[in-house]
Amino acid sequence: MSVLEAVIRSVAVVAAFLVLPLLVGQTEHKFMAHMQGRLGPMYAGGWHGWAQLIADAAKFVQKEDVIPAAADRGVFRIAPAVALIPYMAGLAFIPIGDGIVGADVPASAFAVLAALGVGILGHLMGGWASANKYSMIGAMRGAAQLVAYELPMVLAVASVALAAGTLSLSGIVEQWQPWWLLWQLPGAIVFFIAALAEINRTPFDMPIADSEIVFGAFTEYTGLRFAFFLLAEYAGIVVMALLFTVLYLGGWAGPLAASLGVVWTLLKAWIIAAIIVWMRVSWPRLREDQLHRLAWVWLIPIALFQLALTAVVVVMTR
Amino acid sequence: MSQGPFAFVAGLAGGLRTTARTMRRTAITQEYPDVLPDLPPRSRGVIALVEENCTSCMLCARECPDWCIYIDSHKETIPATTPGGRDRQRNVLDRFAIDFALCMYCGICIEACPFDALHWSPVFELAETDIRDLLHERDRLAKWAQTIPPPQPLDPAAPDPAELAASRKPARPARPAADGAAAAERPARPERPERPARAERPDRPPRAERPAGEERPERPARPPRVEPAERSMPLPRPQTDDHGAEAPRAAAPEAPAAPEAPAAPEAAAAPEAPATAGEDATTQVLPTVASDPVATDGPGAQA
Amino acid sequence: MTTRDIVFICFAVLAAGCALLAVTTKQVVHAALWLVATLGTIAGCYFVLGAELVGLVQLLIYVGAVIILVIFALMLTRAPIGKHDDLATPGWQRAIAAVVGASLTALIAAVVLPVVTDAAVDIPASTNKGVSAAIFGVWVWPFELLSVLLLSALIGAFIVSQVVRAAGRPTGGEGR
Ligand code: SF4
Ligand code: SF4
Repeated sequence: MSVLEAVIRSVAVVAAFLVLPLLVGQTEHKFMAHMQGRLGPMYAGGWHGWAQLIADAAKFVQKEDVIPAAADRGVFRIAPAVALIPYMAGLAFIPIGDGIVGADVPASAFAVLAALGVGILGHLMGGWASANKYSMIGAMRGAAQLVAYELPMVLAVASVALAAGTLSLSGIVEQWQPWWLLWQLPGAIVFFIAALAEINRTPFDMPIADSEIVFGAFTEYTGLRFAFFLLAEYAGIVVMALLFTVLYLGGWAGPLAASLGVVWTLLKAWIIAAIIVWMRVSWPRLREDQLHRLAWVWLIPIALFQLALTAVVVVMTR
Repeated sequence: MSQGPFAFVAGLAGGLRTTARTMRRTAITQEYPDVLPDLPPRSRGVIALVEENCTSCMLCARECPDWCIYIDSHKETIPATTPGGRDRQRNVLDRFAIDFALCMYCGICIEACPFDALHWSPVFELAETDIRDLLHERDRLAKWAQTIPPPQPLDPAAPDPAELAASRKPARPARPAADGAAAAERPARPERPERPARAERPDRPPRAERPAGEERPERPARPPRVEPAERSMPLPRPQTDDHGAEAPRAAAPEAPAAPEAPAAPEAAAAPEAPATAGEDATTQVLPTVASDPVATDGPGAQA
Repeated sequence: MTTRDIVFICFAVLAAGCALLAVTTKQVVHAALWLVATLGTIAGCYFVLGAELVGLVQLLIYVGAVIILVIFALMLTRAPIGKHDDLATPGWQRAIAAVVGASLTALIAAVVLPVVTDAAVDIPASTNKGVSAAIFGVWVWPFELLSVLLLSALIGAFIVSQVVRAAGRPTGGEGR
């Protein structure tokens, strides 16, 4: 890999990291609005408010960066970066087309999971350093949620990896066949729920439950640092949707995959993201204890069952 | 999850379905600055003043709960137009201002104005950058008078205004005859004041007298048409059993008298034994009963 | 010296520095965060050595572990922001910890130093397959033993919490 190639790949990843979350955010703006009988943003940029999020970013940049007097300044400052960068790293490992990937590593499925796990550390740091009880509660909830949901998620991914016989996401897509949709269905459901919980989306958004604890770990944040947290949230949706697409929906598999592969991946991921938005509009938030009950009583047993099912089928067919 | 996971999942799916259905419908958002809203004619946008109508009587200012109407006026003498005539005085309005920073759009001033000088106008774009600019003087208030919408046509199904309804009250021809008796009896009946409210419906029949020139000929079939002869019956009952609610219900079964109902008006109209007539009067609608003989005579005279 | 050596040394120095900060800082949460940094840089060392899978596992497992550590630190000490002397470890504990740490270092050094030579060691390319074969082949017994150890720790923790609750001692939180 030459230096030039490395630079190009990095730039592409950063560009995708900045653009795709905005697309998801705009989808959310519009879907949410129309699902509630509204129009959503209509002004910014002229055509149906397409530039609303860019305008928001411009607004965030101008805001004063307030750090509470009692806060632990250093930790408070770097927390948004700790929350944001892992998602960028995770995005770099996910292939969106045959050979189109930021960094092709043999164990990319694992790499993405490892990167995502680090993100919550940013929430925890921000929540603790804010010296605010709501931030603290939000951070603790987020951390507990991550611990509860990472296990079923890893198990579900392990099942797919077992089925494909590889830990590489590209390899998984190459091995993928349509009947896996059925075979891996329980695992897919578990993964989807765990992904929602891990990126704090409704119905698992207790860490930032605005009606209970103001805005959780982000309560004290303003301006650009707050925007980073929000960007991390939407980047999380992008990463999870892409990961789901690649693991369970065959990534770029589809008609004319050779030339339209990237389109297929992005389209599938966009549909997943839209479903995530749809759920946010439709469902209320779970209670904190219901969340943990769901993880330990339902998801982990289902994930283990899926793993066993995969193992049996793999042993019988190979 | 008490109803089991299936009900739970069905509930989730129901939520998704609802939002999806809403998404297919057109949004209800009104794009306000681009498209002006189509406000109903009675919208409370701003209070407009028709200066010519205002007599500076100050009623509005005194009724305003916020005291946000400011009126200055002086008296002017108009010399007599005819020799030897008397000079007249007239109020001249100097200042009329409403502070819309205080106004809470209760509309009391508009109700209070006896001269129709104040009206609601649907103009609503009043925002100012300084709160003091919300004190609008009479020229501005008068300008808004141009935007007062014409009055709405009356809803054909609307009930008559109170005055009309009162004037249409049934004639009670029995009245004059019974007058003395009823007047004599009245003080003796402590429960009387509450009776009318209760018995009002059963007594509607007299209203049916209106049929003379009125529609609703089917009306007489209603239970209220208690035979005048029976009317002496229901009356004692409430005396023993004070729960008046029973009275109308008890009266209803007697209504099978419906076939004869059309005869009721006549019966009612016919002069009766003074006692019955007196009771009739007690069960009549309140206003007439409450008033003195002169007033009760009025409707009777009409009929 | 190759680029790889330089990167490795960088990671190693960072790891050592973070580890020192982790044990010397006066703030509980900072110690945990420096621990994350230490473990992360060690994962970097693994990456440089080509043991990619081990590095990822290091990240995935230890970050999760440290998060739990932070939660416990917060719940047990209220983890105030800033230095608090009442949370400081007493001297005798520090002494014991130093002794234990030094003896562990000595043990590892005794094992590792004799095999260090100037001769370049040929690192076999570490593949996922290789690692798994090693874990479930040569090292299967230590691996299983570790699992049993963790399981017993888990059960122990569970029993302790249950016994404490059954004894009716206030457990801080409201029971369910
Ligand atoms: S609307 Fe009510 S508050 Fe406003 S000026 Fe009239 S009476 Fe006063
Ligand atoms: S009540 Fe009517 S007439 Fe009297 S001062 Fe007010 S606006 Fe004028």
